[in-house]
Amino acid sequence: MNVQQVPDIIFSTIAKNSFQALAPAWFEIKTNSEEILNVGGEWQHYFLEQPVAGQDVSQACEMLIGMLPMTENFELPQMQLLEHCYTDIFAIHDTNSDWLLFCDVTEKTNQLQTYQQTSNDLILIKDRLSRTLNRYVGQEVSERVNKGELKFDAAGERREISTLFVDIRGFTPFNECNDAQVVMQTLNAYMNCMLDSIMGNAGMVDKIIGDGVMAVFGVLPSQNHYTHDAFSAAQQIQTAVAQLNEQRLQAGLDILGVGVGIATGEAVLGILGTHERRAFTAIGRHVNLAARLESNARKGEILMDEATYIALEKPHALIAVTLALKDIGETQAYALLSNS
Amino acid sequence: MIQKKICILGAAGVGKTSLTARFVFSKFSDKYLSTMGVKIDRKQVEASGQVVNMMLWDIHGEEYKKIPTSYLRGASGIVTVIDGTRPNTVNVAHKILQRVNEELGTLPNIFLINKSDLEDDWNISDAMIQTLRDSGAPVYLTSAKSGDNVESSFLQLAEMLLNP
Repeated sequence: MNVQQVPDIIFSTIAKNSFQALAPAWFEIKTNSEEILNVGGEWQHYFLEQPVAGQDVSQACEMLIGMLPMTENFELPQMQLLEHCYTDIFAIHDTNSDWLLFCDVTEKTNQLQTYQQTSNDLILIKDRLSRTLNRYVGQEVSERVNKGELKFDAAGERREISTLFVDIRGFTPFNECNDAQVVMQTLNAYMNCMLDSIMGNAGMVDKIIGDGVMAVFGVLPSQNHYTHDAFSAAQQIQTAVAQLNEQRLQAGLDILGVGVGIATGEAVLGILGTHERRAFTAIGRHVNLAARLESNARKGEILMDEATYIALEKPHALIAVTLALKDIGETQAYALLSNS
Repeated sequence: MIQKKICILGAAGVGKTSLTARFVFSKFSDKYLSTMGVKIDRKQVEASGQVVNMMLWDIHGEEYKKIPTSYLRGASGIVTVIDGTRPNTVNVAHKILQRVNEELGTLPNIFLINKSDLEDDWNISDAMIQTLRDSGAPVYLTSAKSGDNVESSFLQLAEMLLNP
């Protein structure tokens, strides 16, 4: 719209209202200098002391040091000259003299502040959630989740997966005989062995239950078959624990071992819970089987079900065992005992 | 007295206002209040045997809107702030600094990697710190909360301003 098309009475009403809201003040400044020639408008809105003609701009408004003399027009938006008071400053370069115009934008800025605060809060929350996610699934997967590249149906989806349970053997008596700090330091040391090996093989940590972990393979993207990932993770856990135990022995610390159980089959994946608290979950017969196998695994041992054994193409190093599992009964399983 | 304008730049929420408040008023608040536009504070320090009035331009974070280059006019030095728990703020710092260099040429700059008190959440690798050091600017791990390295880093910048 062209301003000249606006009727005079409308234009003057808009100008009057805007003028009052902006509470303008201005300095006329000698060209190519900092000297104030004239002061006009509502200066008390912006300055505690009255600026006067003959003063340098930087004396009247210390924050403008280094900005003059003007060579071009520029704008300094949302300057807090006084506490809780926002000012847009317009520097206007003219042939006869330069001008500084001060306009109050406190109300508009306070409204924008609400949006900016919300936006920044969301950025911080997103970063915090990413950090939490990193700890459970690793940075690469966390980034893919954030970019929306990793999806499954949160309402429920059936999928073939491998489930791995790992638990520290003899942790309960160790817990009872040591003080809290030693218990937590020890637990963290062994947890690192477990979590690093799981996350390094595209495993998703489903739960940390006291001194044990449940992880699923086949949910996060991987270049390998999920059963191979689960088995690699199990072997790496046992190797990492064995290495940790060597270091702890040399340092004169107690050593512990872990047992691992793996089972493969169909599971229902989904998100359970309320708006306040939600968690990923995997439900299926083989999940219970993996838990039972882990309960039966000795220190340094990996036990797996037949489906896992077949998917791994029956590795020679594994020994067939028949186990009587609680609530499941007699089960054919396969065992690998490491040196730890 | 020597007057120097310092621009404090970085992504939103990295702790620019908290670092300024710690340096100028020895205060810290856990409450996060997003800065609008520019807030200016001053502190007199002694550097190389001279009194320097550091005029600190605490400028809003970069995410929400681009920093107007007019804010940088007349600046003598830059403080680039990074959040030690958020590695993406390193990239924001690099981008801002590149723009500053294009607009004003190379100014004395220090990098403050803030929130060093949050040890469990620390997420800046040594390699990232090295890329900052490679730019030739000093890098400090600071905590606006505890005050660690805050005063000393600003004083280092004051020295750099007087002895370019």
